Amino acid sequence: MSTPTLDIRNLSVSYSTPRGELKALRNVSIQIPNKKIVGIVGESGCGKSTLISAISKLMATNATVKSGEIEFHNSDILKISNQQMSELLGTDISLVFQDPMQTHNPVLSIGRQMVDIQFRDRLSKVEKYNRASEMLSLVGIPDAEERLKQYPFEFSGGMRQRIAIAMALMAKPSLLIADEPTTALDATLEVQIIKRLRELQDEIGCSILFISHHLGVIAELCDEVVVMYAGEVVESGSVRDVFHSPAHPYTKALLECDPGHIKEKTRNLPTIPGEIPDLVNLSTGCVFAERCSKKHDACEERPQFSSLNTEHFVACHLTGQENAL
Amino acid sequence: MTSDVGKMNETKSRSELSDIFYHLVRDPLGLVGLIIVGLIVFSAIFAPWIVPYDPIAMNIPDRMQGPSLSHLAGTDQLGRDTFSRVIMGGRVALQVAIPTIGGAITIGLILGMIAGYGPKWLDNVIVLLFDTVRSFPTVMFALAVVALVGPSLNTVILVIMVTSIPTYGRVVRTLTQSLRNSEFIEAERSLGASVFRIMRVHILPNVIGPIAVLAAMDIPTVIGLEAGLSFLGMGVKPPTPSWGSLLNDGYNLIRNTPWLIIAGGIPLILTTLGFTFLGEALRDVVDPKLRGRGK
Amino acid sequence: MSALLEIDDVRVSFSLRSGLLSSAGSIDAVSGVSLKIEEGQTYGIVGESGSGKSTLARAITGLHHASEGSIRYRGQELKGLPEKEFRKLRKEIVMMFQDPIGSLSPRLSIGSLITEPFKIQGMKNTDLNAEAKRLLAMVGLPDEFAGRYPYQISGGQARRVGVARALALNPKLLIADEPTAGLDVSIQGEMLNLLAKLQDKLGLAIMIITHNLNVVRHITDKVGIMYLGKLVEEGNTDNVFSKPQHPYTLALLAANPEPDPDAQLMRIELAGEPPSLLNRPKGCEFHTRCPFVQSSCRHEIPKWNNSGSVSAYRCSFPEIWENADHG
Repeated sequence: MSTPTLDIRNLSVSYSTPRGELKALRNVSIQIPNKKIVGIVGESGCGKSTLISAISKLMATNATVKSGEIEFHNSDILKISNQQMSELLGTDISLVFQDPMQTHNPVLSIGRQMVDIQFRDRLSKVEKYNRASEMLSLVGIPDAEERLKQYPFEFSGGMRQRIAIAMALMAKPSLLIADEPTTALDATLEVQIIKRLRELQDEIGCSILFISHHLGVIAELCDEVVVMYAGEVVESGSVRDVFHSPAHPYTKALLECDPGHIKEKTRNLPTIPGEIPDLVNLSTGCVFAERCSKKHDACEERPQFSSLNTEHFVACHLTGQENAL
Repeated sequence: MTSDVGKMNETKSRSELSDIFYHLVRDPLGLVGLIIVGLIVFSAIFAPWIVPYDPIAMNIPDRMQGPSLSHLAGTDQLGRDTFSRVIMGGRVALQVAIPTIGGAITIGLILGMIAGYGPKWLDNVIVLLFDTVRSFPTVMFALAVVALVGPSLNTVILVIMVTSIPTYGRVVRTLTQSLRNSEFIEAERSLGASVFRIMRVHILPNVIGPIAVLAAMDIPTVIGLEAGLSFLGMGVKPPTPSWGSLLNDGYNLIRNTPWLIIAGGIPLILTTLGFTFLGEALRDVVDPKLRGRGK
Repeated sequence: MSALLEIDDVRVSFSLRSGLLSSAGSIDAVSGVSLKIEEGQTYGIVGESGSGKSTLARAITGLHHASEGSIRYRGQELKGLPEKEFRKLRKEIVMMFQDPIGSLSPRLSIGSLITEPFKIQGMKNTDLNAEAKRLLAMVGLPDEFAGRYPYQISGGQARRVGVARALALNPKLLIADEPTAGLDVSIQGEMLNLLAKLQDKLGLAIMIITHNLNVVRHITDKVGIMYLGKLVEEGNTDNVFSKPQHPYTLALLAANPEPDPDAQLMRIELAGEPPSLLNRPKGCEFHTRCPFVQSSCRHEIPKWNNSGSVSAYRCSFPEIWENADHG
């Protein structure tokens, strides 16, 4: 097995707040294999935003990394300088964010912005322009050359997000991090963009870390999936394994709640009762215990990871004892 | 999706005012501003009781003395105790500033909300009114009025108030316009709230914050204006002490004693600094609240 | 018996202001919609950005003015009704807004917010505190929430406050604009279950506006699919889901895949993006994106067809995919 593009090991990040230390991420380990698409699924408070900010070293001022390494290209991102990080961002690591309306500078034309981000390349302006227009066509924007002259407000949300993807992939990064890139878009547009993303990934050969709460999209696009809950990884594995044979009660419950999953029409939709725990005052046991229908005495202790096969891992006491399948 | 983590665990917070106070005290500038303003307001309120001498009592034999134990800031050309005049002058300054700004805010709020929320034609009329008033250079306008009506405290108050109205009015108008299309206003409209109710209950409280900040920063300007008018002899009538008239006296007697100018100047500087610091700190506290929390 | 709400060929236009360099024009956000909602029924309006669904909702509550057509509530015409008269009906027709926290007046406490309807309707003799408690209990929030402020509660809780406020005066028709947007999947069910429960208890009719077909499938009796301001398909929910007629409906169904990597889905991909309302396509307005477009679609406006008795759709070549290649 080749080295993964991104290897996050035992990452713990906390925020200092007036109420105390908010443990946003605890012992998170995620691997993104070469040329694969890994999805992170989780709801509010699971820590996905914190994770992205840690990887990109764009953390809030009150955040501290308590432990862990983030290995990328043989160096630990947490240990390199900000200068070195800014050289990585935009070349080897690219980011696409959730809100397409806020991604671009409103007072510069798209063409200008796409040329500007090629500032490290020793190409003539014309060459950069051509590259930009090629990328736009690649993401499905017709009349690319004309549109380079236009300003962000002249594009719809869907188009802006495509432009963001084009900009992110222009430098042929090793890793693309996409933070809920299609959440703000209509479903029919989402389908188009996901398909395009898949094609581009195939062509460019990068790895993608894709964050979303939309289970259907993750199943469609990703090779592997990591399920996060309240700052911890609770289950991870191939998309097939996790969605067909979910092992963790949270994953199971999440799948059951998805209205698209429910075949029978019902006026009593399943939910996961309760709320995520207080990340400042955490109990020592399993983080999902309070809301888990299968809670028992062993859950007072934090579960270790057990593996169901070479790829499928889950942190739950139940799988230690019984056969998950 | 916003992270709801912090919110779900947050307990009920203190009342808004004590919340503001809490944050102000923690900001070094805010604390300094609060102390200075506190001192000024205190001395203004209790002036008649804390002045060592009667500010208008003349005492010719003791005239033009420098600072001493009996006269902390010396005496002026008529032997009046300068320190007492300074303290009383502070009272006059606030007596001008508060009704002026209070009146300007009240009228500015009403006109601004009507302009921002009402029909376009009314908005145009009100803005025209504002612009017309603002096109007058304030000091000249004040001088003209005073020349017609004669100098007095009330004239000064009226003039400065009228010329300040557009400043507040415009800010209120812009804020109202931006709030007008918010979803919560739409929601209240869908419940059937009348225009008056929307302005009073839903727009007014959201507009007061920035206005308060503006007012805090405006007070030194108004005080300076009053001082300036009094300096020119167009403000309060003697023998009422005003920092401006102190400066005027000091200007005439600068070869004899510098203390009058110092006594007149320092309070003005301190007041300006104090209110400005307070205003800046207030703005920092008020703004993030308006923008909404937890993002 | 007349329906609770009857909408007849309603058009809502917005005129664009002419600037120095740009010309004036108008756009039809809603361009000819007709539907009926019976008492106690749940009707889902599904559409994406630019479909006009939110505008339609606002036209019903009088927040936008319908330029043409008729909107009748229990037989009474709402279009053009002066606000004084409309206010009386606002006890019966209420709306819940999309932005849960943004639709709550930021400086008012939750208790004041949910008792606003009482104050607005001039019901001075009510015990507002008691009402606030009752309403909070109805939506499953604890008493002490009455003293909190919008910035102190979560999105899900704010949504419930929106429900409480809407139901304060026991209305007959609730229009819910995207009640589940932005909610975590695990709590979407809570909101929908709450609405279903309250509907059973109060005999409420609900009009749900959403872009999420999956949500609609569970809780609505009838559904209408909107595109560019028009209804393209309408009928009983079960029928529309089991036998969709219009290609757009099919595309919407395909776009909300179930989380199964091996699912055999009909891969329907719409071309491009919704056209601008300023430049409505000729013929069938959907033709620019339809994967099954035929040449006649470009200039022939499809008629409104009734298939059987419960479904209606606007397409010249319904179920065309049955004969076309499966992508």
